Amino acid sequence: MTFHLGYGTNGFANHRLDDALAVIADLGYTGVALTLDHVHLDPFGPDLPKRVDQVAARLDGLGLGVVVETGARFLLDPHRKHHPTLVSDAQEVRVDFLVRALRIAADLGADCVSFWSGIVPAGVDHDEAWQRMRSGVTAALDGAVRHGVPLALEPEPGMLVERLDQALRLREELGSPDLLGITLDVGHCVAVEPEDAAACIRRAGDLLLNVQLDDMLPGVHEHLEFGDGDLDLPGTLAALAEIGYTGLAGVELPRHSHAAPDVARRAMSALRAALPTPGAVSLGSEALGGVSHASGAALPGSDVVSLGSEASGAVPLGSEELGAVSSESGAATPGSWLAEAESSVLADPASIGALFPAVGREVGRTPVQGESDPLGVVHGTVDDVARAKLLTALASAVGPEELATELTSLYRHGDDAERRGVLRALAAVGDKAPTAAVELVQDALRSNDTRLVAAALGPFAADHLDVHTWRHGVLKCLFLGIPLAAVARLDRRADAELRRMVGAFADERRAAGRAVPADALDLLRSGT
Amino acid sequence: MRIFDPHIHMTSRTTDDYEAMYSAGVRALVEPAFWLGQPRTNVGSFTDYFDALIGWERFRAAQFGIRHHCTIALNPKEANDPRCTDVLDVLPRYLAKDGVVAVGEIGYDSMTPEEDDAFARQLELAVRHGLPALVHTPHRDKAAGTARTLDLVRESGLAPERVAVDHLNETTVRAVADSGCWMGFSIYPGTKMDEDRMVAILREYGTERVLVNSAADWGRSDPLKTHKTGLAMLAAGFDQSDVDRVLWDNPVEFYGQSGRLMLDDTPAGDTFAGNSVLRGERP
Repeated sequence: MTFHLGYGTNGFANHRLDDALAVIADLGYTGVALTLDHVHLDPFGPDLPKRVDQVAARLDGLGLGVVVETGARFLLDPHRKHHPTLVSDAQEVRVDFLVRALRIAADLGADCVSFWSGIVPAGVDHDEAWQRMRSGVTAALDGAVRHGVPLALEPEPGMLVERLDQALRLREELGSPDLLGITLDVGHCVAVEPEDAAACIRRAGDLLLNVQLDDMLPGVHEHLEFGDGDLDLPGTLAALAEIGYTGLAGVELPRHSHAAPDVARRAMSALRAALPTPGAVSLGSEALGGVSHASGAALPGSDVVSLGSEASGAVPLGSEELGAVSSESGAATPGSWLAEAESSVLADPASIGALFPAVGREVGRTPVQGESDPLGVVHGTVDDVARAKLLTALASAVGPEELATELTSLYRHGDDAERRGVLRALAAVGDKAPTAAVELVQDALRSNDTRLVAAALGPFAADHLDVHTWRHGVLKCLFLGIPLAAVARLDRRADAELRRMVGAFADERRAAGRAVPADALDLLRSGT
Repeated sequence: MRIFDPHIHMTSRTTDDYEAMYSAGVRALVEPAFWLGQPRTNVGSFTDYFDALIGWERFRAAQFGIRHHCTIALNPKEANDPRCTDVLDVLPRYLAKDGVVAVGEIGYDSMTPEEDDAFARQLELAVRHGLPALVHTPHRDKAAGTARTLDLVRESGLAPERVAVDHLNETTVRAVADSGCWMGFSIYPGTKMDEDRMVAILREYGTERVLVNSAADWGRSDPLKTHKTGLAMLAAGFDQSDVDRVLWDNPVEFYGQSGRLMLDDTPAGDTFAGNSVLRGERP
């Protein structure tokens, strides 16, 4: 049971389509509602078949599902917005466009073509408009049959069909055609429906082919960002999961193109925080899950909503430590302090400032592998693991610059445990802010705090630290008595120069009549 | 005698003091963030100081068998310096940390509008972070300052039992006693209060909601004044349970409202960030 979170390209009107698709995919969306328009796959443009193929390949490459939207403002008439419609005198122009859209949808592999009715023109009475609507939809349905793509009627405030009950009645009057379903804009539900969005979703049930997500205030048809209106977003998403909806739920903010990437990022944060079966937990554990799963640990289900690469695959994990930790301490249980903290960070990234220091009090401070590593020098502590989860949530909620700033602040203002938490989390999030992360590792390596030095030399340092600093970090471990097991990928990165340095260290120790650490001897032997 | 000094600035004290305090029975203390005698000139000076309070000084105290906690705030004196007030934006990070048991010292120094603002904002932070507040009362015009303090506390929505109003004397104790706030007394050589006057106040007001501290800092002060007050109480006929109540149970009850007191017996590590206070062979 899976539905997809998507974003409407009409909210990216100032982007080239290819760029818009990339930005949307990068934010973790797995689908788009593609509005055919002058600038985005013009259905009347030259070389249409070739362009359609290119877009199909682009969608495929980015792993994006698609529905086709037909609500462009001045596509058919440069003077009158949305004209002509199915209830206009020139209805055939609209029908022709819808059929073109169906063909394009078939070539793109789209779920459906979404459409609306139209504002009843002056001088046309309601019955006449309703008859026009029936005939227009019937004509368009021929195209749907021809191309094997369903149509999804969207109730639109102010138009002839503006509420769900009217759309359902029209469908019934037409004999309940298989290829006629419903598009539901959940913001519209707040604005004009007698019931809330969740109730509308349940009522539409398996006729629901396309969902548009946005917030709205009662009685006001203005698409708002989540939280700015009265929509119960968690309840709405829960209702989609409840009815087993498998299509696209795409954010519909057509008047926010001027700030599209930021708006889309905020929308994703809000969606993640509002997802059912605590969405945040699914995300957090999904992020760590690749590793946990490999090591055989059971994870709470994260199958309700499929999110994009950023949520799962793109989070770099490779840290053996994290894998071991996930299987041992388990993922956050729903309702736990950590699960709520992750949700909070996803919804309000700044909240990490006060949550991060509190981790030890809430989840404990015991070593992950207490038997072999009683102080957590090598494998860290349970609070390290929890802090990595918070930072993983943060990394999915903010862009690279904000992540860099917050990592630095958490470290600079952190006590010793918080600093270790930041350093160990770099295995999961450091790749997204490598410049700042390297500076933190370098800072830690200047200290004499054994646990801090050990935490600094994890997988991130192995991949990103310059070789000179890395070698001196390893040597410092030997000086401070830190087991070299704490140094990630030592085998791979140890080179002749490091062995020369360690050899000199061993000579010095011997000259002073002091023992040479076994780790140093092992390292020297490994090079011969 | 087991002593919890609820207000002492150990950053300014020596290891001799720590040893003497331990010998006298001090096992736990709270170090409120305050000014350093020498004015700070930027926010970084504050954060370095806060870092010391939550890290280095806690470690240093542990070396002598004493549990160290702290309070964090922009003090009223430096609330008047525009170079310092931006520290208010950093406070939320520090107020969330382990061992931070109150917002403090806040309050009035010269009763300026700037102090009003910093005081009110920090009472709000206390509410938001679920922390008690430690309030300093001014040295000059103390009675008026105390009255204004209690007004602001009332407006803040912070429950009076979560507020300690400190540096009280005979002229200011009544208003605070009536307010429901905790009554703090700093026993100083020569100024503020002395042990015998303290005993007289305890006789009149009882031991409930009373905190006795040394407030020892970089000025002429005595970190053993808590102990000496305990002795004066016994000499004046109070029994050991009264002394325990004032010198241990009360501070534990007040700061315990933070949920962050660390009074377990976990042994301390030998070094802090790799450095020990022991001087010599190791780092």
